[in-house]
Amino acid sequence: FVSYQVEILDWKTKEQLCFLDKVEPNATIREIRLMFHKLYPQWYPARQSIKLDPKGKSLRDAEILQHLPVGTTATLYFKDLGPQIGWTTVFLIEYTGPLFIYFLFYFRMPFVYGLDERFTSSPHPVVNLACICHSFHYIKRLIETVFVHRFSHGTMPLRNIVKNCLYYWGFAAWLAYYINHPLYTPPSYGKKQINFAVIMFLLCEAGNFSIHVALSDLQRNGSKTRKIPYPTKNPFTWLFFFVSCPNYTYEVGTWISFTIMTQCVPVGLFTFLCFIQMTIWAKDKHCTYLREFKDYPSVRMPIIPFLL
Amino acid sequence: MAGPSLRPHVHWAQRHRELYLRVELSDVQHPDITITDNVLHFKAQGHGAKGDNIYEFQIEFLEPVEPHPVCRVTQRQLNITVQKKESNWWERLTKQEKRPLFLAPDFDRWLDESDAEMELKEKEEEKISKMKIESRVPKDPFRHLKKGYLVMYNLVQFLGFSWIFVNMTVRLFILGKDSFYDTFHTIADMMYFCQTLALMEIMNSLIGLVRSPLIPAVLQIFGRNFILFVVLGSLEEMQNKPVVFFVFYIWSIIELFRYPYYMLSCIGIEWKPLTWLRYTAWIPLYPLGGLSEAVAVIQSIPIFSETGKFSLELPNPLNVTIQFSFLLQLYLIALFLGVFVNFRHLYKQRKQHLGPKKRKMK
Repeated sequence: FVSYQVEILDWKTKEQLCFLDKVEPNATIREIRLMFHKLYPQWYPARQSIKLDPKGKSLRDAEILQHLPVGTTATLYFKDLGPQIGWTTVFLIEYTGPLFIYFLFYFRMPFVYGLDERFTSSPHPVVNLACICHSFHYIKRLIETVFVHRFSHGTMPLRNIVKNCLYYWGFAAWLAYYINHPLYTPPSYGKKQINFAVIMFLLCEAGNFSIHVALSDLQRNGSKTRKIPYPTKNPFTWLFFFVSCPNYTYEVGTWISFTIMTQCVPVGLFTFLCFIQMTIWAKDKHCTYLREFKDYPSVRMPIIPFLL
Repeated sequence: MAGPSLRPHVHWAQRHRELYLRVELSDVQHPDITITDNVLHFKAQGHGAKGDNIYEFQIEFLEPVEPHPVCRVTQRQLNITVQKKESNWWERLTKQEKRPLFLAPDFDRWLDESDAEMELKEKEEEKISKMKIESRVPKDPFRHLKKGYLVMYNLVQFLGFSWIFVNMTVRLFILGKDSFYDTFHTIADMMYFCQTLALMEIMNSLIGLVRSPLIPAVLQIFGRNFILFVVLGSLEEMQNKPVVFFVFYIWSIIELFRYPYYMLSCIGIEWKPLTWLRYTAWIPLYPLGGLSEAVAVIQSIPIFSETGKFSLELPNPLNVTIQFSFLLQLYLIALFLGVFVNFRHLYKQRKQHLGPKKRKMK
């Protein structure tokens, strides 16, 4: 039984920040992070990036000391990732914003459209419908964040949340402004267009929810290993036959339906940007799947069946 | 008449494919060297260990060789190279097991088997890298056509902008300040032509005809054409303003240096003064050009606000408002950023092209 010694150096200055004596060989990086946190209370574990090489990748919590390419005196490097914020908190803030911002415009707060139009309501039923759909979308997302999602990374840097909030909240305000405007023009093809859009919206929301549930079931037993998602008995999950990330596919579908429902260019622009962002994420995920699983189904495309 | 034949000192070495024999005889005029039945016969008159005499020797090779020895005669020795039939490492030179007394290893050229292998490998790698360099530049059957097209394009643009420049200068001398006010009416058609033709530059970069990067070309052409067609072209009011004169004049001077330089570089001629001009003239001209374009945009903003041109008001089926004057303000910011970034890029380029000569110029 050999006990290890671990020294942790600052990744830039290489000064020794701590020296841990008598570390068990099967200690995990998570335990080392906790020990480091005891010495430096301001650097909680989520903020610590522990690496083998100053310019390398951060080690995962689950890694075991004796399985790393180190001698009995291990040298690790520390980098401060800055204040971190949990994913759950991030999503809660990101999604609550648009929900309430939309209401400011729907109820026509005085500072939005001028005093003459304050608190009036729109003569068009589609405007009420749009408010219901938009709110439903974000409430569903909030519920999923609290009850359904399982996050692989615990946290993200704090400055990201400012960027993300500006984007989501800003766009929500911009599109809510036009939909709830007194001079709003309802869709050119009238009821047919609206009904079609509503049906598409509901289908995509149901699909998106099904996928999230299916993905979270994959990791139900708490195992950290990834598994290939497969279609289940739920017909909405059959999109897994064709696509790696059907949750993104359904999400884009939701926004397309919302664009058709409101016939509003800012909504279209938001949909377009969402599509680009989700395609990037889907391609990333797809590549990760391909790398990790040799028997990954070759029919599957990242986000659009057969195309993209 | 001849006594027992004299043997010269012979040193030998080998590589995988060939054998080297160095015969220590000087002043040899006509050596008689043949290989028959895998036996090398050597006979020559020369100066050796035993003085000026006829020396000869025979060697039966261990394994088959090509019957074509190559001999190089120098003042002090003869070098014979014999090709082995099979690429092989020989444990000795001669078929007989006992080494002949006149034969000795040539330590100058000696390599053992592993070193010889390394030498072979290095030679292979050299060959491969040479082939790569050659294949990287295949001879393009269309290159004359392409060059001709580029020269023509640059020539036409040069003529167009020269016409503009000369025309504006002459009118400036004749009419003075008054020429500012109707610059647009006289010059615009030619400017429209030249700038429309400049779209070809994007094509050239896109299809790889020209090696310059695509995005800066697109931004430059887009920027110019936006000013020309949208800011100036679509508003009658703008066309009578003096700023038009400055915009057109500066554009034409910049192009007067750029196009001839490209034309000559296509043909492969470099005229040093022109190169210097092309990489220096932009220093005052480019910021001035940017400034005059900015003034034009600023002057156009109130007009676009009033007339509502290119703007969309509510209500409309798209449920969006477009304020063109607001977009122009954003464009101004982009213009300044663009000029700044491009300035740095051109400065770097200048250093690359003129760098080592800069000291001379001063």
